[in-house]
Amino acid sequence: MGVRVKTGRTLLAIALGLSMAVGAAHAGSYPDIGPLPQIKINKAKAELGKRLFFDKRVSGDAAISCATCHNPKEGWSQNQALSDGYPGNGHFRNSPTLINAAHKKSWNHDGRIGTNLNDQTREMITETYIMNMDMRIMQERFKQDPLYVKMFKDAGYGEPSNGSVRKAIPEFLKTLTSRGAPFDTGKMSGAAKRGMKLFKGKAGCISCHNGPLLSDGKPHNTGVPENFDVFLDPNNHQAFIAFTMFQGIPNYMNLKRDPGFYNITLDMADMGKFMTPSLRELKYSAPYMHNGTINTLAGVVDFYNRGGGKDSRKSDQLKPLNLSNKQKGDLVAFLESLSGDRLTSSEHVWNKSYPDEYPAIQNWQHARN
Amino acid sequence: MKKIMKYRHAVLAASISTVLLVGCNANATKESTSAVVKAAPAAATTMSMGPAKLEPLGPPPIPADNLQSPGKIALGKVLFFDPRIGGDASTGCSTCHEPDQGWAWAEDFSRGYPGTVHWRNSQSIINSAYYPRLFWAGSASSLEKQARSAARGGVAGNGEADLMEARVALIPEYRKQFKEVFGTEWPLIKDVWRAIASYERTLIQLDTPIDNYLKGDKSALSEEQIRGKVIFEGKAGCIQCHNGPLATDLKFYNVGVPASPRWQDDGLAQITFRFEQYAKGMTQEGYRKAKDDWGYYYRSKNSWDKGKFRTPTLRYVVYTPPYLHNGMLDTLEEVVDFYNRGGRMEDGSTTSFPQNKSDLIKPLNLSDQEKEDLVAFIEAFSGEEILVAKPELPDYAPLFTKAELEAAQEAK
Repeated sequence: MGVRVKTGRTLLAIALGLSMAVGAAHAGSYPDIGPLPQIKINKAKAELGKRLFFDKRVSGDAAISCATCHNPKEGWSQNQALSDGYPGNGHFRNSPTLINAAHKKSWNHDGRIGTNLNDQTREMITETYIMNMDMRIMQERFKQDPLYVKMFKDAGYGEPSNGSVRKAIPEFLKTLTSRGAPFDTGKMSGAAKRGMKLFKGKAGCISCHNGPLLSDGKPHNTGVPENFDVFLDPNNHQAFIAFTMFQGIPNYMNLKRDPGFYNITLDMADMGKFMTPSLRELKYSAPYMHNGTINTLAGVVDFYNRGGGKDSRKSDQLKPLNLSNKQKGDLVAFLESLSGDRLTSSEHVWNKSYPDEYPAIQNWQHARN
Repeated sequence: MKKIMKYRHAVLAASISTVLLVGCNANATKESTSAVVKAAPAAATTMSMGPAKLEPLGPPPIPADNLQSPGKIALGKVLFFDPRIGGDASTGCSTCHEPDQGWAWAEDFSRGYPGTVHWRNSQSIINSAYYPRLFWAGSASSLEKQARSAARGGVAGNGEADLMEARVALIPEYRKQFKEVFGTEWPLIKDVWRAIASYERTLIQLDTPIDNYLKGDKSALSEEQIRGKVIFEGKAGCIQCHNGPLATDLKFYNVGVPASPRWQDDGLAQITFRFEQYAKGMTQEGYRKAKDDWGYYYRSKNSWDKGKFRTPTLRYVVYTPPYLHNGMLDTLEEVVDFYNRGGRMEDGSTTSFPQNKSDLIKPLNLSDQEKEDLVAFIEAFSGEEILVAKPELPDYAPLFTKAELEAAQEAK
């Protein structure tokens, strides 16, 4: 338990105090919140991944890149309730920040990818309503870009290939790790420290938001209301229908709610459950919740202070919290202390331009494809 | 004339041996043997008209599992022009089959999905109803399957069934019509293809000069065209492959078309070229080495099928330049010159697979006059240009009202 060195001891002390204050409901011991582990990064691979991440040629019609919906300037997400999706359709969920994505064990709000970022990268690139890319075309596009040919080779991947794209982008994502968050640097304000106490105590947030990511990585139903724009805008609704059809959700045409984790289990007990998000790096990635229905962190705190939303299957861990305005303010201060640098410099952003067209391979007739 | 005679003898010999073989395979009774003897002169007569004969075009075959109806045709027409039947809602059937470009695309390669280019010439929809197999290498066995493949292909429509089906379901006018035509509560993507195919089966042309001529109106062809017909059926030997009502024998040949020059100097075209090798299931070695379209080989995997493509119809070609599977030739005159040189371009270049080049393709020694006559005759396979007003596309509308959503929210 003495792992987290300096902060560990303070946290332990606080945790002890809290469990007494909170009583039975929150008395369980949860994985400590604390700094994230270091990840080893291969520079050449990450650099290649960076160029790929910002390259629109990764999408079917070469109109959007990963950064379109995970924009560094918008907290590596999109500052709108629902993600853009692919041209010609919309989306039905909020784009989450990618900072710390490499630390997660599952991805997407319903956690449907639980293997690795390689699979998640493939999912995003090939999914019809997201990037709609036939990766065989993508591979040939990159074999036609001399800089990529060099970068793939320098990264040790040989020639450009689908498989290497699926490795290089995750390598880049590893570089998107919390940096300089007051929570990690120990420079938390008094309000933030008080908020942390509430977080672990009276507010009980820690029962789901625990561990270095401040997430238990599990699905819960907290009663978040539906975002009606999913259904009222046919562009969004078509993506939702395509998704639920593909997932094998019964009666998907009449569905008026996002089934969440039910996608995976088709067990009604899981209807409306969504994965606990990390609370790190939320300062710049508003709005919040899986469908972007809450605009501010204060709004999120209010939501949980009311005991969450309305749903017959709502988790019974959620109860009205009776927080005072000051306590709510402290909780928000703590949440903000979990955000650090925006990672918007050229260290993380590919600022160089991409070629407008693909140069022809010279002596094509005799070159090996 | 001598060449033709030779050809006839060869075919005659071939048909006799075929009959013999058939005779052997069947119960080789005396009767069947005598049938062979009798068949010989009969074959000779049929040869002059025989399989190698032009015929007027009749009504198209209608598959029993997708009968025509006015409602289905009308629905198919709108769907044909609707770009939402594709990936990013920009590329529908009519995008590469533009009515005012001969229901095709007037460039060597068809335009592709945004961000790509295709790798073969877009074929006209007009009279496509008659092809038992679609695409240049015959990879689709019905118009329904062709529509599906084209809408989904990465360098064509790049659409996915689930999303396209969802789009159609969110268009109230479509929902209404699909229910009327197909009786389903919600539109199904397979019925999208069926409706489009039904519409395409109406895009036919039966009243061209050659049809009228063959049906007895001897004034339907000009003197020049009648001279061209003689050359077509005789000295030039076009009839060997371009015969029957569709002016195609529907078989696959290597006629000597070289690799497209686009692949030499166009990066985007090189991308698609390699993608196609990959997508068509080539071996690693094949993918690495291919420098030309292997055509029918992709389907048969027989080396002798490299560079073979289905004989295209000559109907409606006046409106569908450029020509050949890779659109290398811009005019019918150039096509005639190409065959007159024995399947060679002006610079002498020919197929990348000369070992597979059809023996039927030989220098023709046509005079300028003969070539002109031939072009004039080929033009007789085209009637009036078929143009249609593009239909107005129905709009999306939300499936649920806000009140319904609120009620569902309350019931959670």
